[in-house]
Amino acid sequence: MATQQDDGGVPFSMAHEMHQFRLLELPPDIVELLDAPNPSPLSIKSQAASNAPDAKPAYAVLCAPGKAFQLRQVQTSNSLFITQPTLDAHSNVIPIPVTRAVALCTATLELHLSDASAATLLRDVLPLYDIVGGDVDATQNRTGKADIFEHVPLSEEQCEAGWNEVVAFEHEESSYQPSANALSQVWRSINAAALAEGIKLDSQFLTGDITRAVAEECHPSGLVESVLRHLSTKEADCTGPWCCLDRSQTVAFAGRVLLETKQGSDYLIAEFTDTWEDNLPDAWRKDVQLSAVEGVYDFPTMTTIRVKSKGYASTDTSSEATAATKPSARKWHEKFGKTRKK
Amino acid sequence: MPTIPLHPRPLVAPSPTENPLPQLLHTPSGLAILELQGTFHFPPSSDPTGSTHLGKLVFPLYNPALNDPSDTKWMKRVYLYVGKGQRMTGECKKLSKPLGIVRKRKNVDGMEGVEGIEEEGKEEELEIVEIVRWKIVFSSRPEPVGGGEEAE
Repeated sequence: MATQQDDGGVPFSMAHEMHQFRLLELPPDIVELLDAPNPSPLSIKSQAASNAPDAKPAYAVLCAPGKAFQLRQVQTSNSLFITQPTLDAHSNVIPIPVTRAVALCTATLELHLSDASAATLLRDVLPLYDIVGGDVDATQNRTGKADIFEHVPLSEEQCEAGWNEVVAFEHEESSYQPSANALSQVWRSINAAALAEGIKLDSQFLTGDITRAVAEECHPSGLVESVLRHLSTKEADCTGPWCCLDRSQTVAFAGRVLLETKQGSDYLIAEFTDTWEDNLPDAWRKDVQLSAVEGVYDFPTMTTIRVKSKGYASTDTSSEATAATKPSARKWHEKFGKTRKK
Repeated sequence: MPTIPLHPRPLVAPSPTENPLPQLLHTPSGLAILELQGTFHFPPSSDPTGSTHLGKLVFPLYNPALNDPSDTKWMKRVYLYVGKGQRMTGECKKLSKPLGIVRKRKNVDGMEGVEGIEEEGKEEELEIVEIVRWKIVFSSRPEPVGGGEEAE
């Protein structure tokens, strides 16, 4: 191999016009992803800081499949030159290979795994779809799911999981999160429809059979489908025409939303469990145990039960884990915002 | 609120030419990273497409003909001779985290969007041109040497 070693080194030159390159520090899992034969596309979501006093801080995140990284620009104390081999006839008649600096970077971009919770962020932005005394109480946001996701600094998959966790839905060009009241009523309608149609919810059924029957109750079909998807077994692909509910998850859901409809006021335990049983298919009544809603209730007295003040506690362990680490992420976000505003 | 695609591979990879650096520092595109305390000063030039010869890089212990490829002792010493009689001593180092070199994606025809006639309304796209795992670092100040490079 002909290097320039023999005649005393590799000529080093500097291009007069520098390229605009940025250096991105790559964590091991991103390197692994990029080294794969057909790497999945990445994207950068960004939002400029607004001048409004209560504006959220600016952010930029790198989204990879299933995860997101906060981007942080770090000034380097040294200059980082990016060099490129090139043939140069500068001081010679015969062009010789030289190393030429083609770009100068004084900062690198660090990636920090974001542990923000998509469900929490979605709950902050989605208007509530509530049903009070039979009337719908909801404020349209005229924003579809895709536009909502654009503003959530997490990957598409994380947004989708959060969307499912809060049972969010689109209706007439707006998107909403249902209140416990709305969820409880839709669930009762689904249960009644299954009974009327003779559908076993924990075996495969046609989603359309349920949504058609529930449509008479004037619930948005998007909400009904969201509830079915939220309660379906992990294996069931509810994007298709078929659905199959996870029995234990559904029992817990029915109990939890029932407790939440009381909005923290006390509920006689016996009355609660009776209503809970009534809200389930007959074959599932024996599944009603307080242990099914473990962690979301308190006993203010010997005979009453109420939902913990935390409100929307999720029984999903994975989301609880992300919720637990959330505060630090928030803090970091605030710090980042402050430095940007300076 | 923009979401900018970051393509994992360049649309048009820089065409590699003969790379005079040691094999270890080679990347598919030939791009490498050189870290320096301070910067280079040289007279401004009116030729924007040209380059200024600054000096030379010397790897005094590098001898692929004699040394085993697993022998990494040569990495401990790199000289950068600059201008008339200045020398910096550095070394080759593995980056703790590899660096992705990111740039704006060029137009489909391979031409860079020229200033002023940048395509209107077209979303910006980025691409990772190269992943670099090694760098040459010169962390000390230059020292004077006699009979150095007779540049400029």
